[in-house]
Amino acid sequence: MKLYLYGIIDSSDRIKDSIYGLEGASVYNIPFCNIGAIVSEINQPIQGVTKGTVLEHEAVTEKLMANFAVLPVRFQTIIDGRDNLLSVMQSYYKDFRDNLDRVRNKVEFGIKVIWPSDKIKEQIINTYKEGNKKVLISSDSPNKRFIRKKFERYVINEEFQKRANKYIKVMDIFFSKFAAEKKTEKLKTENLLMDAVYLVEKDKERNFREAFEHVKSARPDFKYLFSGPWPAYNFVVLSKKSGLLRDSEQADLLDKVTQDQILVGADSI
Amino acid sequence: MDNAVTRSKDITLLEILDRVLDKGVVISGDAVISVADVDLIYLGLKVLLSSVETMEQLRGSPFVGPMQEAK
Repeated sequence: MKLYLYGIIDSSDRIKDSIYGLEGASVYNIPFCNIGAIVSEINQPIQGVTKGTVLEHEAVTEKLMANFAVLPVRFQTIIDGRDNLLSVMQSYYKDFRDNLDRVRNKVEFGIKVIWPSDKIKEQIINTYKEGNKKVLISSDSPNKRFIRKKFERYVINEEFQKRANKYIKVMDIFFSKFAAEKKTEKLKTENLLMDAVYLVEKDKERNFREAFEHVKSARPDFKYLFSGPWPAYNFVVLSKKSGLLRDSEQADLLDKVTQDQILVGADSI
Repeated sequence: MDNAVTRSKDITLLEILDRVLDKGVVISGDAVISVADVDLIYLGLKVLLSSVETMEQLRGSPFVGPMQEAK
């Protein structure tokens, strides 16, 4: 029996709601100690990535998010049987536990900010030309012109980066105020000024949205893509020690797994 | 599947893809069955997803849902 794994939750209890996953299969919890692996049974390999299967996967993790802390698992993670799954849970237990503690009662939001890079550059060039009129009209030698052009490009790019840093810094001040953790990337492309994800406590979600609206109204000439709330896809950090638990730690964990726990999932099918 | 789950949020399918296919817990080991095609398919998608600017080009494509900017 192959098991399709959707996520790890901070509960070893049976799922009360009826949730259906890929191929319409029932989703249930396989407990390990005080956490659980959310799975459904799968008979055949999934034929590629389709919009339907991706949305089905995501819908399961979203439903879980309503009642549990969830670590969403990468799409198309299929484990070969219950014993192997329990072995995986044992290997990763400490990591899963630590991450669940970090993301409990928190949700992820994504923010992308697109600025008109062409216009920004145009402004910078105009300002530069205005301040260097005398230099620009002087009749330099070809060598000097070449060096001056290179210098101009350098100055323009520096100013471009400087402005990007400034905007990101200001926006991030508003967002970070209500975020527990964040990841921001600058200028992935010239137009994509900021690509950021924030981990926000559920009771600060409203404040975070308001902060976004505030930033958006301050710069209406920029474009914004706001998404969420999501399970904490971008904030799961697994240590390199996974799978390398000492023998004594493994024995301790195995002692905690009772036959009753293992059968909880099976009963719920 | 309850479509309302996804429709109720200000999201795009690209945002979902970026997370479901590229983020979250990655489990490695012999117990995990890998499906060979997925990486290749994802590589193709990754090219599309790598730039927000391509979203506009993707609009209307059968694979991509409506792009929503935050309201």
